[in-house]
Amino acid sequence: MYSSIVRLQNTFGFFTTVTFFIAFVISLSDFFSVRTPSVGVLKTTNLQVVRGRPHYYSSKKEEYAIIKFSLDADLSSLFTWNTKQLFVYVTAEWPSAGSQNATNSAVIWDSIITAPSSDHLATIGPIALKKLKKSAGGKPIDPSRGKLSLKNQRPKYQITHPSGQLASQEDVQLKLHYNVQPWVGILTWNQDQDWWNWKALKNGLSKKFRLPALKKKDEGKKKTASTGNRS
Amino acid sequence: MFSSLGNPRQAAAQLMNFGLILSTAFMMWKGLSVITDSPSPIVVVLSGSMEPAFQRGDLLLLWNRNLMADTSVGEIVVYNVKGKDIPIVHRVVRKFGEGPHAKLLTKGDNNVADDTELYARGQDYLDRTDIIGSVVGYLPFVGYVTIMLSEHPWMKTAMLGIMGLVVVLQRE
Repeated sequence: MYSSIVRLQNTFGFFTTVTFFIAFVISLSDFFSVRTPSVGVLKTTNLQVVRGRPHYYSSKKEEYAIIKFSLDADLSSLFTWNTKQLFVYVTAEWPSAGSQNATNSAVIWDSIITAPSSDHLATIGPIALKKLKKSAGGKPIDPSRGKLSLKNQRPKYQITHPSGQLASQEDVQLKLHYNVQPWVGILTWNQDQDWWNWKALKNGLSKKFRLPALKKKDEGKKKTASTGNRS
Repeated sequence: MFSSLGNPRQAAAQLMNFGLILSTAFMMWKGLSVITDSPSPIVVVLSGSMEPAFQRGDLLLLWNRNLMADTSVGEIVVYNVKGKDIPIVHRVVRKFGEGPHAKLLTKGDNNVADDTELYARGQDYLDRTDIIGSVVGYLPFVGYVTIMLSEHPWMKTAMLGIMGLVVVLQRE
């Protein structure tokens, strides 16, 4: 009965039980932390539509929208002891031609904000990593990283539509989203309604705007190279 | 030693017990599969393309029902490409249209380019049916055992050997 194998089994069993229980409690603690994300400014600053190819060997020409924008947001309340990273992204959303309901949405800019506790996992160069670690000042939780302030930001992704047409598109809107990645537990996204301690992300939509008509041909050609495979 | 082999009644009970454990595990897995509507409700992360969010060996819980909303941009989905049998965990970055025929484009957070290259030949977008679930829960590192076992086959042999030895040597 009390052989060493049984003892080993019991020890391991107890270890896993305790570990899973602690993990469960940590994941529950998320629900008790108050989240009050807010957006100050989200607006477009420069709009452009150019023609380009999806990749170098393609002969297909598509229209690409380059949307520059400004963003002011305070997401600092999302950083708790169980936050591993915050994924912030801005989408452009617009209705489909023909049907009222169907929408299109595409990410134009995103950013991974690691919590200081996961800085060592960040996939950046050694110098940038050193700087990032220093910025936390030794704190395990650094809410100030959730304060975003972008002025006339270039989009990371030039977006298009499967039809290849995007110029003069009406009713385009930018929307700010976030995804909280925990150390353990459930993944959460921005909400449209309040859920107990978690407040909705208000004001996260820009004004509706219209994309401009296509640029003149000679200007479009210069841009072709840069659209590359980053679509 | 070999005490259980001498007694057929005890040996049968042990066999029964073993079968019960196996069938319970199988039922739990399939039950979870029915609840989440996903053929594989728990997956292990195999690549670093979603770092720093997911590392190799992390365990993900999937949900494959659209009860309140469509699978939308920003969700992390697990999908299968036709002709390839390795499921990929990436984030949806574009969605055109709505409902079951929406066109979805995915990208790994840690990748520079989107997944067009990973899809089947001639496929530019994913369909909802290619997706086997959206990530809703996260448990770090626990699945690393399976990666170890598949990358070092001798560990499988060693583990089976130890388990067999324990069964044989164990005295009830």
